[in-house]
Amino acid sequence: MPWAKEEDFIELKKRFPSLEIEVKPTITNLHIPKDQLIELLRTLKEEKGYKLFIDHSVVDFPEKSPRFQAFYILYNVDERKRVVVKTWTDGTLPSVEKLWFAGKWAERECYDMFGIMYEGHENLVRAFMWETYQYHPLRKDFPLEGYANEYLPSLNEVLWGDNLQGLMNYDRMHTPVPTLEDLEITQKRRLKKKAQLVLNWGPLHPGTHGTMWFLFDLEGERVVQCDVILGQLHRGVEKLAENEMYNQFLVYTDRMDYISALCSNQAWVVAVERLLGIEDLVPEKAKYIRTMMSELQRINSHLLWLGTYALDIGALTIFLYAFKEREKLMDIIEGITGARLTISYPRIGGVRMDLPEGALEVIKAFVKRFPKELKDWETILSRNRIWLRRNVGVGVIDKEDVYFYGLTGAVARGSGIPYDIRKFEPYDAYPWVEFDIPVGENGDVYDRYLVRLEEMRQSLKIIEQCVRKLESMPKSAPFFAESPDPKKLKLSLDGIGLKVPEGEIYSSGENPRGELGFYIYSTGGVKPYRVKIRPGSMYNLCVYPKLMKDRVIADAVAVLASLDPVVGEIDR
Amino acid sequence: MEGLLAQLIVMGIKILVILAVVLGLGAYLTLVERKVAAHIQRRPGPMVVGWHGLLQPLADGLKLITKEDIFPRSGNRFLYNLALVLALVPAVLVFAVVPFGPEFEVFGLKVKPILTDVNVGLLLVFALGSMTVYAIALAGWASNSKYALIGSMRKAGIIVSYEVVITFAVMGPIILAGTLSTYEIVQNQIEQKLWYIWLQPIAFVIYLFALLAETGRVPFDIQEAEAELVTGFTVEYGGIKFGLFPLVEWYVEVLSLSAIGVVLFLGGWSPINIPFVGFVDPLFFLGSLSPFVWFVLKVGLLFLFVLWLHWTLPRYRIDQITETAWKVMLPLTFVNLVLTAIIAPIVWR
Amino acid sequence: MIKKVFEKPLSWLERIFFIDFIKGLSVTIRHAFSKTITTHYPYEKLTPPKRFRGFFGHKVVDGREPQPAFDEWVERFKIDVQPGKSRCVVCMLCKRACPVPQLFEIEGEKLPNGRRRVNIFNMNMMLCTFCGFCVDACPVDCLFQSDIHETASYTRKDAVLDLKTLERIGRDWQKRREQEPDRIWIDDQQRMRLWYENDLKLSEVKKR
Repeated sequence: MPWAKEEDFIELKKRFPSLEIEVKPTITNLHIPKDQLIELLRTLKEEKGYKLFIDHSVVDFPEKSPRFQAFYILYNVDERKRVVVKTWTDGTLPSVEKLWFAGKWAERECYDMFGIMYEGHENLVRAFMWETYQYHPLRKDFPLEGYANEYLPSLNEVLWGDNLQGLMNYDRMHTPVPTLEDLEITQKRRLKKKAQLVLNWGPLHPGTHGTMWFLFDLEGERVVQCDVILGQLHRGVEKLAENEMYNQFLVYTDRMDYISALCSNQAWVVAVERLLGIEDLVPEKAKYIRTMMSELQRINSHLLWLGTYALDIGALTIFLYAFKEREKLMDIIEGITGARLTISYPRIGGVRMDLPEGALEVIKAFVKRFPKELKDWETILSRNRIWLRRNVGVGVIDKEDVYFYGLTGAVARGSGIPYDIRKFEPYDAYPWVEFDIPVGENGDVYDRYLVRLEEMRQSLKIIEQCVRKLESMPKSAPFFAESPDPKKLKLSLDGIGLKVPEGEIYSSGENPRGELGFYIYSTGGVKPYRVKIRPGSMYNLCVYPKLMKDRVIADAVAVLASLDPVVGEIDR
Repeated sequence: MEGLLAQLIVMGIKILVILAVVLGLGAYLTLVERKVAAHIQRRPGPMVVGWHGLLQPLADGLKLITKEDIFPRSGNRFLYNLALVLALVPAVLVFAVVPFGPEFEVFGLKVKPILTDVNVGLLLVFALGSMTVYAIALAGWASNSKYALIGSMRKAGIIVSYEVVITFAVMGPIILAGTLSTYEIVQNQIEQKLWYIWLQPIAFVIYLFALLAETGRVPFDIQEAEAELVTGFTVEYGGIKFGLFPLVEWYVEVLSLSAIGVVLFLGGWSPINIPFVGFVDPLFFLGSLSPFVWFVLKVGLLFLFVLWLHWTLPRYRIDQITETAWKVMLPLTFVNLVLTAIIAPIVWR
Repeated sequence: MIKKVFEKPLSWLERIFFIDFIKGLSVTIRHAFSKTITTHYPYEKLTPPKRFRGFFGHKVVDGREPQPAFDEWVERFKIDVQPGKSRCVVCMLCKRACPVPQLFEIEGEKLPNGRRRVNIFNMNMMLCTFCGFCVDACPVDCLFQSDIHETASYTRKDAVLDLKTLERIGRDWQKRREQEPDRIWIDDQQRMRLWYENDLKLSEVKKR
């Protein structure tokens, strides 16, 4: 567990006398009062090397005063250590925008969800909801069902005269819905027009990967400034998490990053297992199965990325070739788990079912042929002069930007920083398999493309090793953990009655898109008190306005596709 | 009097044949493209309507005709409709100067299978090609939409640059043939026993790229780039008007320009050529029908090659397209002209 | 452990003779003359695998219940067992395990002979996430997921499965597919259209 030790911060106590260092097995906290917060963060960033911004949010304690506990998670890449800085506030906080740009977006989200005002923030607008929305949804006094104020009956009633009264859970009143005026106000507040024409790219457009709404301020074909409006797919997952048991929340993690559902499931399950402390109880077979399925899902996700990326740039056949291989992968995943998109196969303590017969043969047949297909596609794309001209030198991200914007995943690796959670904080069977991390040099779009292609090959290597190990295990090996004390810790496949002791943890997993992290704050009981999800795609996206400055619109597609965002994860 | 009446009847038949062939073939080429694209992508393409999808263009045409014809609220209606006419008419008119075969006799009349054999045939082709700029610019302007405007400005820029390139590229074969009339160029190639492609490879490659750029095919289809502009300047057109723009741009224009390419570089209706020696005709058993079959075969092969390129290559960015035209292709055409001027006397003899 | 990725720039020879284009074109033309891989839905369909998570069903009492678990639960809740009817013992474990418990509407009734029986069992598929937790929770192997996935309809009422529909799906499943082995898929012939180029050789289907 790469948490910082107490001796790292002893010398800081001289400069900050009110600093409290709290070290627990699952987390390391630094408590500081609000007026010295920016000083401490700056010292940690510049002198101690905690340069990478992971996350920032707020936990609401309505009975306490001051009411909100804000936390900032930082990471030191060279020494591989993580630390959480906490402070208490009643509703205002100083802004960390000058230290990390990613903090600007995190602060917008906290303002939107909790109503915290940030001093020194350049343009404090709501992150997900529209500007004229009146409530702050994640506060504890906001009910789970929301305030149903609008009259919005079903079309079956309005057009066909059906009487749906008495049908389960149907209600004619609905929570607030934005109108066209609300959206126009949101757009005007977000971007102040400086140049010739403001082009709305999205929210419904075949080129943006999902429902993202981009605003380009154009001068001819050149972009002068650019901004993003998110929230078209916001479903309130963090609010729902406070009402679900730990095992039941697994279903929502599928639907966030719907393309790599198994990896998100695995990240959540590993986080809860670490909080419970039962990592060693999970049987070996389950760990190998989870790793193998995760790597299959990683190839799946990268194939979708490659297909849509090539489609946007104009090579239309690569889309269909990638989907042919994806069909094979989906067949494998469907045969093993039963579903193709929203999978929920891992469980807290193992997996749901053992592998069916024939699964390993099919996976071996797939793995044998796949490198040949990859080579075919590379002959069409990688050294094509049109491809090179479109991609080399476009969207360059240098090393300092990676820290400033909180970038993770293939975006960080394309710029030369070997940041991979599978090597830094290994989970499941990753300590026991051998693989390389591909790292790029220049940080342009072409390097990110090469990095992801190489990642697919490394995933194949991992899958081969897992298959060999699984073939050698006996058929009756267990796939679910046995609880040592069923009275205190009830582990079962359906997860009823799983009580988690008091504590908190931040744990992350390596999604194909970046680092997906879960910060869980538990006050005992079967339901968590606060779950904050750290989406990799959102912090990868916040470098987009900087990359689009002074570029032509045609580059907008290439740059966006190389960052590989998924709106389900950004908006949650 | 009788000679005039006969000539008018012959001309009328030729017009009907060309219109029917061009428009009907244009519609069926959509099916050919869909089938070729589908097989490249490992899927069968349209299979349900008719046997293996042969009636699909009829179904598509019916669907487009019966769709709602929308009009943007503050657009310019006259220019909106005029743009469509300006796009369709010049593209079909190019076929007036394309020779399909050698002169033949029917009922005692000598008939040349070309609508009008003017002695400046090629000049007419390029003049008509330049009219498409008007169509595109007007379509983008009259739609009153930001996306349409950006798309049409891009396309107009490309067409203007590549018109210059294509005109310089074809000067090579014109010098070698010594005439601007399309019929005479093919006759000269047959007399000199030489397809001009053997002497003008650079010009042929440049002509091919200019063909792709003029008609808006990959790698130069920045105008229809779906990911950015969602069909560019045709975004506010609905129904059959929307269907006619790609029909004209992608199919009729490609057909006409590849027919001109075959005439200029590949010897028109002559069979396979061994340079400076003679011709070999594997299809001799077709008798007098053989030249027409060869012409259709060559145009078809060129069209299939254009399709093959479309479904393989990615597309360029707008500033890269114009940069390539002015900085790379135009100087190459000058080099080609100089070389042609040096070796032309060999051919003229 | 760390692998640097880079690609050589194009040489002059490649640029003049368009070798990069020609290589790409050769790949495409090779694919153009290979077999097509798609299944022509709805004229040809693939059979979903045994573990597929489609619509739900109740298995009926036919002598193949998991013993001794079934007898224990029947005794505990005093259930009236009828062959040919659902195995449900009204334990409400499925509703407790579900992430969206509002979709279940379960009621039992007391019969004149003192035993209980399930009376109303409605599942609202519009709220369901098809996760399968309820199937894992059921102690008597009654609730299960079948392979029904073509379920589009015009009204909301069609999305609610009541006890009769569940029993019907259960009877149909037990007759049609319960004896299948737990294999990755069962329709090898159909799947070969996509998998033929991988040289896949699966072992024979063992009939139980």
